[in-house]
Amino acid sequence: MHHAHIDKFAYQDSPVHRLDSRVKFLVVLVFTAVVVSLPRTSVSILACYAVGPFALLVWAKIPLRFAFKQILLVSPFVLVLALSCPLYDRTPATVAFGPFSWRLTLGWMRCFTILGKFTVTMSALIALVSTTRFNDLLTGLQRLGLPKVLVIQLGFLYRYIFVLIDRAHHILRARQGRKLRSLGFKAELRIAAAMLGSLFVRSIDTAEHINIAMQARAFDGKWRTLSRLQIRAADYIFALAAALFMAGLYLLVKPVLQ
Amino acid sequence: MAKAIEIENFSYAYPDGTVALDKINLTLEHGRKLALIGPNGAGKSTLLLAMAGFVKGTGRVVVDGLEINRKNLKKIRASLCSCLENPDDQLFMPTLFDDIAFGPLNMGLTPEEVKARVADALQTVGLTEMVDKAPHHLSAGQKRAAAIATVLSMAPKIITLDEPDGSLDPRNRNNLLKLLASLPQTLIIATCNMNFAAALADRAVLVDKGRIIADGDAKEIMSDSELMTEHGLEVPSTIR
Repeated sequence: MHHAHIDKFAYQDSPVHRLDSRVKFLVVLVFTAVVVSLPRTSVSILACYAVGPFALLVWAKIPLRFAFKQILLVSPFVLVLALSCPLYDRTPATVAFGPFSWRLTLGWMRCFTILGKFTVTMSALIALVSTTRFNDLLTGLQRLGLPKVLVIQLGFLYRYIFVLIDRAHHILRARQGRKLRSLGFKAELRIAAAMLGSLFVRSIDTAEHINIAMQARAFDGKWRTLSRLQIRAADYIFALAAALFMAGLYLLVKPVLQ
Repeated sequence: MAKAIEIENFSYAYPDGTVALDKINLTLEHGRKLALIGPNGAGKSTLLLAMAGFVKGTGRVVVDGLEINRKNLKKIRASLCSCLENPDDQLFMPTLFDDIAFGPLNMGLTPEEVKARVADALQTVGLTEMVDKAPHHLSAGQKRAAAIATVLSMAPKIITLDEPDGSLDPRNRNNLLKLLASLPQTLIIATCNMNFAAALADRAVLVDKGRIIADGDAKEIMSDSELMTEHGLEVPSTIR
């Protein structure tokens, strides 16, 4: 079955794709921290920060439509938070942009800042996962010190989430094929519980089979992988460029902070 | 030279008391291709699991001269490798490279040796281009070939395969047949597909209700229409 993978563009080839996953991860982490720590009055500065991740997306030939679609997919969670701001902070404020100025409340400013920060940091995250294979990202995280147990769990999650989704689809289709009339809420609930139970039992079954497959290949409890990550000159140049970009913008925003 | 498999009076019952294997006696020489045939629920898969030491019953199982016990298990799993029925269970790593490297790494090989083993296994099954692919990006036929590559990379003497032709189209089934026929290892294949078994095996063991019903030349056993019908099987069209 076809799945819409979040990392479906990670298997392309471009200079961004070829960068080391650790370098990309650290740059995105620092970038996110910098953007999140910007003051609420710096909405226009956020637009400058957005240049970074979007430039990466364009350079890596990731369709911007895909990036925006992913941002929209997760936006409802942030929208609730952002749109509640104007309700509890109605302090009047004036916003000036060049010769133009208009009045609004601090709540609205906070709302725009949250939405701006969310868009910029999400685009950076999408640039990371769209240009880095999940496995390379996991290996990178492990090399950066993430506990091995967590890396293994994430690896299994990524490997089997699609198998689980497939099974759920098959069960739903089987139910749809035989459900010829509305059965009422109670009956539907009972069927849903049985379906969930079936998925659960099959997951345990799969786990047992995976355990056999691992032991059959001499697994003794120690997780061994062959890391193929290598930091090259291009990674240093990328890290330096990212540092200069962030430092330059910080100097730009510094007068606003004072 | 030690036999590939020696099973003496092996019996196993599930925790609920259902007898899965009943006084199994089986000897197999190295280099043979054995088909374990029988209807669904006959005990074929359980017998394969017993050969790899995954089910513990009464009796004796010896693999390549080593009796199955806790002490010998690591050595046994380096010489006998199991390929499970569902490739999705066999392929559990994020990429094909990691999956095929998993066994050799656990065997303590050096990174260079592991890379060479992965390259060889991928070349054998014709998936060299797929080395960095995630298993969920492979087709059913590719997954089956990849699952076999995961055991080939360990260079075992004996390979057990549980229903390897399951859910494969004729083209992929023929490709798999050619691949398995070309392997020098001892193969033990559990299958319900008589044409597949007849095309590959030189010896057949018919299992039903946990017992060995017949053991001998593959074509001889599979051409006995009375025996085959009695145990829910059919004479392969290639023999008829």
